[in-house]
Amino acid sequence: MRKVGVVGVGCSKFGNREVTLQELAFEAVYEALNDAGLTQEEIELSVVGCVGTRTYEFMPAVPVNEYCGFVGKGPIRVEAACATGSAAIYTAYTSIASGIVDLAIAIGVEKMTEVDTATSNAVGGRAGNYLWEFHQYGTTFPAYYAMHASAHMAKFGTTEEQMALVAVKAHRNAAKNPKAHFQKEVTVETVLKSRYIAYPLKLFDCSPISDGSAAAILASEEKIRELNLDAVWIEGVGYSSDTSNMTRRENFVGLKASVQASRMAYKMAKIEDPIKQLDIATVHDCFTIAEIMAYEDLGFCRKGEGGKFAERGESDFGGKIPVNTFGGLKAKGHPLAATGIAMIYEVTKQLREEAGALQVDLKNYRGLTHNVGGTGHFAWVFILKR
Amino acid sequence: MIIESRELPLKHNISVKKTEKYWKGLEEGKIYKTVCKNCGKEYSPPQAECTFCRCETDWVEISGVGVVEAFTTIHTIPKGFEWSEPYTIVIARFGNVRVMGWGKNVKVGDKVRAYTAKDAAGVWKVYLEVV
Ligand SMILES: [Zn+2]
Repeated sequence: MRKVGVVGVGCSKFGNREVTLQELAFEAVYEALNDAGLTQEEIELSVVGCVGTRTYEFMPAVPVNEYCGFVGKGPIRVEAACATGSAAIYTAYTSIASGIVDLAIAIGVEKMTEVDTATSNAVGGRAGNYLWEFHQYGTTFPAYYAMHASAHMAKFGTTEEQMALVAVKAHRNAAKNPKAHFQKEVTVETVLKSRYIAYPLKLFDCSPISDGSAAAILASEEKIRELNLDAVWIEGVGYSSDTSNMTRRENFVGLKASVQASRMAYKMAKIEDPIKQLDIATVHDCFTIAEIMAYEDLGFCRKGEGGKFAERGESDFGGKIPVNTFGGLKAKGHPLAATGIAMIYEVTKQLREEAGALQVDLKNYRGLTHNVGGTGHFAWVFILKR
Repeated sequence: MIIESRELPLKHNISVKKTEKYWKGLEEGKIYKTVCKNCGKEYSPPQAECTFCRCETDWVEISGVGVVEAFTTIHTIPKGFEWSEPYTIVIARFGNVRVMGWGKNVKVGDKVRAYTAKDAAGVWKVYLEVV
């Protein structure tokens, strides 16, 4: 298996974007090509990630691929709910690691604002098992994480205040990220006073409905040496999944798929103590409780101590491990297929020391991305090293 | 500038022949799980065959008292449920399996019994009531 590096990254501004799906994708592709110093002709394979359930374009890969200049170079379309971006990265990664191509681009794009909120809720609520869940009981997407929050609170005494702290950190970081959906700091009080979306989750516990795109160009070690490209290496890859039906899960206080994906990636990257060996982590904080469970599932703290981990500021700048430095899904925005690649973008920028006001201190020059699809229906973890 | 797409309402005809006993059961106040004839694995929601033994399963009624493991109350109502007030979704354990249902005033650890009824939109489903 060949070594693979990330040689170019791009990310659009997230938010309510007045462009089409393909125009949005091109913003990230354009930046990634410029970043790598490459042209479309040099790319051999394009992978287009798009969940596509809220856009007018039902089969979006081809129009996106054409507009971005990769006709004839794929596209392979991938879908793994909110983890679609990571599935796109993996497809590009394996194509290169296996020796089939030397240069591939992973594109993740989502237009979420073309339908109204009630429709969006009904679409997101189908991210489980439609017939047995949404059809009968109207499970919205926040509902799935809210049920986990109820179990986590009952078992470990996790509080709404602790969850609010995750949102406060996210907004504080996003306020310094011009590409983030929100550029406004919030207080614990604002979060706690916001209306319930799905009890115990309130408006400010939830990531917004955002449009956005991200792209990453991956290359083989040979190509990186040949073209003298600046690379951030993919040192570890892990993936897992869980049942579509919530009733069939092991428990509701964590995501087993996250535990399994992270252990697989840690093994490959020879990580025994993630807190000590990582300088930065992006975790899947679609809801504040999701970030608290991620601290635990990824081994940053013991099961049940995620709330206290947030409370002590361990995941903030200057803490044990800065998490979601660009604002997270919570405040930066969560355009489904863009998210996993935007995480690769963030960690790459951090490891290259290009994060400006949001730069973390680097000791190991190693970072992690953790991207969940649905409610632990999919989980992906990548370890990057400069 | 915005262009509105042409309208395309989607409604699917779902074939539930293999799990018909479950859907008919709801109308008779019965909630079924299935149990593999070979390995004994229990399925809830039910399925007519065991994924691992590739053989048929037996239909067994779920009864007795369950325990609430998770719940939420939905305040932001999705399309398809516009007719409803905020509603509470509950997951409760009954022996080796869990059941999802609608409930009221529950908390984790509460004991519940399950019954079936038609909701205001005419869909039969499970309700979980604190005992
Ligand atoms: Zn069996």
